[in-house]
Amino acid sequence: MFMLLVTELLRWWYGDGWRGRARLASVRLDGTIDYFSIGLLVKTLFSPFRQISAGRVDGSLNVQMRALVDKLVSRLIGAMVRTVILVVGGIAIALQAVLSGLLLVAWGLVPLLPVAGAVLAFVGPVL
Amino acid sequence: MEPLYNGTSVRAAKARFGARVGKGGRIALGLMCAFLVVGGVAVLSAGVAAGWILVGFAALPFMVLQWYSHELTAPKTAGVTVDGLLAGDILGKLNTSPSPRQIADIAASVQGGQFLAARFGITKVTLQNITSDDPAETQAIWQNALRIREQTGSETIDGAVLAVAVIFSFPGHEDLLAHMKLGSDDLIEGARWYEDLKRMIEEGSRPRRTGGIARDFSFGYIPLLRRFGQNLSDGTGAKVSVDVGSHVAALDQLISTFSSGGRQNAVLVGETGVGKTTIVHDLADRILDASARIPQSLKFRQIFLLDASSLIAAAPGRGELEGLVMRVLGEAYSAKNIIICLDNAQLFFEEGVGSVDLSNMLLPILEAGNLRIILTMDEQRFLQISQRNPSLANALNRISITPATKQETMAVMRHQLIYAEYQRHVTYMYQALQEAYDLSERYVHDLAMPGRALKLLESAAGYSENGVVTANSVHMAIEKTMDIKVGVANTDDEREKLLNLEDLIHERMINQTRAVQVVSDALRRARAGVRNVSRPVGTFLFLGPTGVGKTELSKALADVYFGGEERMVRLDLNEYVRPEDVSRLIADGAEDPTSLTAQVMKQPFSVVLLDEIEKAHPQVLTTLLQLLDEGILRDIKNREVSFRDAIVIATSNAGADRIREYIERGYKLQDFERQFVDELISSNQFRPEFLNRFDEIVVFRPLEKPELVQVIDLIIAGINKQLASQKISVNVTDDAKVYLVDKGYDPRLGARPMRRVVQRAVENLVAKQMLSGAVSAGAVIDVTREQVEAMLGPDSPQ
Repeated sequence: MFMLLVTELLRWWYGDGWRGRARLASVRLDGTIDYFSIGLLVKTLFSPFRQISAGRVDGSLNVQMRALVDKLVSRLIGAMVRTVILVVGGIAIALQAVLSGLLLVAWGLVPLLPVAGAVLAFVGPVL
Repeated sequence: MEPLYNGTSVRAAKARFGARVGKGGRIALGLMCAFLVVGGVAVLSAGVAAGWILVGFAALPFMVLQWYSHELTAPKTAGVTVDGLLAGDILGKLNTSPSPRQIADIAASVQGGQFLAARFGITKVTLQNITSDDPAETQAIWQNALRIREQTGSETIDGAVLAVAVIFSFPGHEDLLAHMKLGSDDLIEGARWYEDLKRMIEEGSRPRRTGGIARDFSFGYIPLLRRFGQNLSDGTGAKVSVDVGSHVAALDQLISTFSSGGRQNAVLVGETGVGKTTIVHDLADRILDASARIPQSLKFRQIFLLDASSLIAAAPGRGELEGLVMRVLGEAYSAKNIIICLDNAQLFFEEGVGSVDLSNMLLPILEAGNLRIILTMDEQRFLQISQRNPSLANALNRISITPATKQETMAVMRHQLIYAEYQRHVTYMYQALQEAYDLSERYVHDLAMPGRALKLLESAAGYSENGVVTANSVHMAIEKTMDIKVGVANTDDEREKLLNLEDLIHERMINQTRAVQVVSDALRRARAGVRNVSRPVGTFLFLGPTGVGKTELSKALADVYFGGEERMVRLDLNEYVRPEDVSRLIADGAEDPTSLTAQVMKQPFSVVLLDEIEKAHPQVLTTLLQLLDEGILRDIKNREVSFRDAIVIATSNAGADRIREYIERGYKLQDFERQFVDELISSNQFRPEFLNRFDEIVVFRPLEKPELVQVIDLIIAGINKQLASQKISVNVTDDAKVYLVDKGYDPRLGARPMRRVVQRAVENLVAKQMLSGAVSAGAVIDVTREQVEAMLGPDSPQ
């Protein structure tokens, strides 16, 4: 019975357990990507920021020029804000991805830890 | 036959190991892991390399802990055998060869079984009582469990499925369930309900993607909308919706309307309670979900519900409101991500308290179709507005919402009651849900399904018994709110009253035993729960001369059983002799509170007396046919008014002379009753299809002298009742009574003139004696024949 349980534990660890970890990491990464609205930011990088007018502006050339400038300024501000968030978000996502990757690798090494501990104890490095 | 359960399978072994670890083991493993790491580091710090062994071995409890949390508590299903499909919590507790009773015990102890106990009243004791200790009988349970799992779509054989399987394996389960007012299908529904709950919890715990921090960067500011509207997309709405057929279709239609190039508006038309606002909430929820399959042009749009009253309050001046609404709508248009919702849109299209007519201003906006707008309205209002302003109706994309079916309503109730239970700290039983559906269908007419059942279910929470809302709580809720009786007679007082109804009625009226018996029987059938609930409690036609007790019986019944004479709804049909009087009969209560429908809507538990029915116009009688047949009459606004808790009594003097003739020729009532009714039909006084609608046609015979003396006794008893407050009573001698009968009885008018005669003779005599001071409190006034003669005079007219 003991051997059966050990075998089943290892089977799960390197099978469903590992896959589950990978899925969890992916879900968390998706969450972070959604939190920073990465897809939306990329799609609307040069869209006006918090636009206050919509559609075509009718009026004299002066009015139209002012609207055009307003929109340009709005787009410029939008691009800046979005770029900053994209950069911050990109860094956060990259860090999380690296961390998740490391954790996944570590997961695979956990069953080897008792052996590694025994070897290290024999080799003798101490803190 | 191949055994269905293999207790030695790998999955069973794992589940058993998981059960052995349990919550306590989990804590111990966690502590062990921490201890090994900390201890190892401490040893290493002390310069001893063996510390690595401790650190390394910390991996073992850590691994078991992970295994326990992610697999052992809910092992993956494997194959199609029972051990491959049983839920982990059950499989872990089962031994290799369990008996039915052990299975029952385990099923009742896990979450699914407890759910069944709380919702259906099927407790551990019930399960134990119907199971044996013979392991050979387990095969039937396993077979049932596999079948029920498939039927309910459950992923595993959980506690609910197993408990139902245990019950189904009991040969007398139908009787057992009937005792609990349940059927086999109900238990299957119960197992499905548990499965739905698990799915709901799972879906609720799944992280939602709603666009993130930059979602609204490209859209405009909406300060006015935030002030005058309610954001339905703020994420506080229900996250899991129920699949009601008409709702799903309406949602799809809304999405298709808003993602196509046509006019960007829709009007949801349906009865109140049908779920129009819920659909808008569902849409808000769906378009905010990044994972939902919806067109990009709709994704992350927000729905704002405009509040008519706060808009009106903020712009009291003439023309101000139009300006404000235009600014609000302009803001929504500029923001580019707003869908406006005008809930109860009639508030924006008609003048009145809390409403305003903005049709002229909104029409061009709706026609242009640039701003996305959803309106909700009930059918009647939509028709009125369409009639008044056809171009407005033409500018709208209409989506009709039909009421939910029983199955859908039950599903909505099961879903919604979770919130009600949380808010009101109660638990609803399944029987309460069923009763709420059935009773609301019968009695709640101002709302459509599922709203009407939900309304009743919510009010039933106030009548819970120790925090449990039962079918009885629903009965009480409807009885208190509608002033009716729906359950079977359950108090000793009431039972006693019902069993002695004839005696109680005879305390007020003399003879007419057959009439008294048929109405008493009808009432007893109703209160014992053995009547047809789709008809009135009883429908009777009383035929006979005037003054023989037809109306008196109705009054007596209202008084004795329905709680007072005021519980009688009386209509003199000689006032309904023209065809146009039909509209008066079914008039809206707001305009004519005395109409039949208005009175019964207000007081459904009553005696309805339709006096002198032969005088009503045939069209009026035709209108009454449905009432007699189905217990339903539609009022002028097409609302159903239920007469199913009323006793309907129609009276008629038609053929009174013939009855007298028969009696005078020495016939007994039962000898000529049938022939008499045939004569009424052949003489065209009543149509056969009308007479056929009555449960019973009872002929009242004229009263004979000894009975009339008894009537005098009743009248005198009434006078004594009036005098009781002055502590005076009247005693009329026997010969005086006979004299009063002689003077008061008129073969054409029956016993009715006798009351006037007694009034003149006895009451006047008593009044004179009291005023002269001849009697004082506690006195008994004896009235003799001589005194009566003196009061009435020898040739006194009647």
